[in-house]
Amino acid sequence: MVIFLDIFVFMYPSLFKGIVNVSFLVVMFSGYFLSSQEEHKTDSFDLEVKKKIEQYKSYSYFYKAGMFFIENNWDSTLVYSMRHLNTTKQNIELANYSHYFRGYSLNEKKLYQEAQKEFDLVSSEFKFNFIVKKRLAEIALEKDEFEKAISYLIPLTKLPEEHYKYFKKTEVFQNLGICYIHLNEFDKAESYLSESTKLSKERKDTLKIISAYGNIAALYYNQYKDDLAIPYFKEAYELSKNIDNFETKRIATLNMAVVEENRKDLRKALEYRKEYEKWKDSLNDQNKIYEVAQIEKAFAVKQKQQEVNLLEAENKSKIRERNGLLYSALTLLILLGVALYYYKEKSKANKIIVAQKEDLDALNATKDKLFSIVSHDLRSSVNALKTSNNKLLDNLEAKNLDALDEQLQNNSAIVNGAYNLLDNLLHWALLQTNQSYFEIAPIRLFSIVEQTAYNYKPLMLENNIDFKNDVLKSDSIFADQESLKIILRNLLDNAIKFSKPNGTIKVYTQSTNEKYCDLIIEDSGIGMQESTRLALIEDTISLAKKENKNSIGTGLGLQLCKSMIKKNKGKLDIESELGKGTKMIVSLPLKA
Amino acid sequence: MENVNVLVVEDTPEESNALIKVLEANNYNIIGVATTFKSALDIFYNKAIDIVVLDIFLNGNPDGIAFAETISVTPNASKPFVFLTSSTDRKIFERAKLTQPFSYLMKPFNELEILYALEMAVEKFYAQPDVFLGDDEDTIISSEYLFIKKGKSLKKVLLTDIIYIEVEEKYCNIITEKEKFVILISLTKISKLLDDSMFSRTHRNFIVNTEKITEIIPSDNLILLSGNHKATLSDTYKDILKNVRTLK
Repeated sequence: MVIFLDIFVFMYPSLFKGIVNVSFLVVMFSGYFLSSQEEHKTDSFDLEVKKKIEQYKSYSYFYKAGMFFIENNWDSTLVYSMRHLNTTKQNIELANYSHYFRGYSLNEKKLYQEAQKEFDLVSSEFKFNFIVKKRLAEIALEKDEFEKAISYLIPLTKLPEEHYKYFKKTEVFQNLGICYIHLNEFDKAESYLSESTKLSKERKDTLKIISAYGNIAALYYNQYKDDLAIPYFKEAYELSKNIDNFETKRIATLNMAVVEENRKDLRKALEYRKEYEKWKDSLNDQNKIYEVAQIEKAFAVKQKQQEVNLLEAENKSKIRERNGLLYSALTLLILLGVALYYYKEKSKANKIIVAQKEDLDALNATKDKLFSIVSHDLRSSVNALKTSNNKLLDNLEAKNLDALDEQLQNNSAIVNGAYNLLDNLLHWALLQTNQSYFEIAPIRLFSIVEQTAYNYKPLMLENNIDFKNDVLKSDSIFADQESLKIILRNLLDNAIKFSKPNGTIKVYTQSTNEKYCDLIIEDSGIGMQESTRLALIEDTISLAKKENKNSIGTGLGLQLCKSMIKKNKGKLDIESELGKGTKMIVSLPLKA
Repeated sequence: MENVNVLVVEDTPEESNALIKVLEANNYNIIGVATTFKSALDIFYNKAIDIVVLDIFLNGNPDGIAFAETISVTPNASKPFVFLTSSTDRKIFERAKLTQPFSYLMKPFNELEILYALEMAVEKFYAQPDVFLGDDEDTIISSEYLFIKKGKSLKKVLLTDIIYIEVEEKYCNIITEKEKFVILISLTKISKLLDDSMFSRTHRNFIVNTEKITEIIPSDNLILLSGNHKATLSDTYKDILKNVRTLK
């Protein structure tokens, strides 16, 4: 606007005198703007705001609005103050501040009407109401509502001294002066302006003095009191030489140029014009520099922002990386735990497997041994039969019937032995594979003993062995019939095998325990050594070595007995005396 | 006393011959030998059979069990049976076991074992356990016969042949038309198991076949029976008169 008016001056030099008014107005307004731009927001007020927002830091919108206000970031101030007003309504003080922020920001954005509305919303209790009044006055001035401005300004001339911290008294006087100039009340204007000049001089505020001089000069010039005006212009011009403010210099120089022109001293006027141009350029340069600086600043800010963004992104990625690491570490830990657990389980299982393997190896070794003994025995039996058969044939040819009979008897005995061995082998296999039928049921012992002994009757008769079944007919136990028969068969077989001719075999029962019935197979045979006895009743699978060369035996029979007795929940005990006989004691349960 | 009739179901002739030899030596009457499931059923339904000895495997199939299952479900036709097997196979035994009452004989067997198995079959079938093995009793009562253990073998007496039974402590004198013999059985058991409609108690010591009564002389406390047998009628048991058809 200022530049436009200047151009206007250039374009119509013939209308000079008339236009000077406008030009002076420009000067006056320029002065006014200078003071408002540089001193509207005094540091004191910013300090007040800072205190306030620190105090109400919990209101984040208010805090931000205040911060942006201090930083002169008007748009953001508007946004956050609006948010604060929308969210928080109870606190009137904060509302007043917010309205003030908004009014001020809008004013800065030259939205005077809106600004005025905001300022009007500030309640009268507001501590800084006088500042509000000043702002309203300035707006009124902007809108050329001079009388209204005066009504705002008059009270401001009589404020307590400490209030002038927030704005300068001279400004009030100057503005009043300007108002009166516009209202053509030059007397009042003069008094205020001189008051302003006086105050400025007192404060040694060169800028203010210059604008005050300018204003006074303009005042006189408007009244065509050129003689009074020119010294002020000159003074202002002289003073402006010593300051750095291009705007002030420019206006002062322009004023001088106009004055000289009006005095028709064109040469001087031209000089002033040139100087004016210089200051204008400087001002433009300054503005450009300022703009460049602004752009640079914006660029720097942008770069910084980018850096910040980059750092933020980096941070984020770092956090993500860290989280990722944390999670992967956790996962690894869990995996490790699981792996450890399984390893432990596995090693435990391995231990068991190793132990089982050892057992199995031992069992397998036993089985192999059994295998070799059994096959050896069978081989011997079959071989004996073979040679015996040859003899039979010889005897048949010779018709030696007595010898034939003897041979047949012999063969029968061999076959019986081999059969028993095979039978035991079969039952052993069935027991090991759990294939045999097994049913615990009540059994009358007498009958079973009779049935089993029946097969051995001829053998016992042949060996002249006296057999007695002394089991009571009422004796009843719980067992599986077939396995009991196998047990008895083997025990009787052994008893006969180890009996001497004319010996006795007795089977009887005796009760020593209320849970068990002891079935005893007693022979008067060769007996056994204590070590053999212990080895036999031991709870391990052991195959006895042959002690008696004449008897076929593998120890399988007794082994089978032990397993069968165990399966029938019974017990085996042996009592023996070398040379006198053996007692095999089978304890069987009386109840299921 | 008659011999007990046995049906042998066995597909191997040697085995059945050996079995028959033992059974006949012990006074059992072999009423038939079947080698297949079908012929076994034929003989079973057409002859009076007391016990069946039955091989589980007939020609390689467990037809023996099928036969047992068949006769078990036929009402009033079922008879005691003994499974004969050389197999110790558990699964087959488990199946055979389902045909209750279950009695079996394992091959190879001796004389005592087969006799024992037959006795067990009869005991289990008539649900009168511990009769033949003990010293106290020797008789099992079915609805038609008395099965009596005589020595190592079993005998049977048709109930309708009995004229009267005289109880002497643990013993019972059985009097039939043709013979007179002693059995071991408790009085409580015999009075419980005998058919009420056929036999009546007339005295503490007398059980009379009502069919055999020819004359009752209450004044002398005497009952005259066929074959000139006499039984005592005590006052306690005079209720019998109400049940006897009398001419009025």
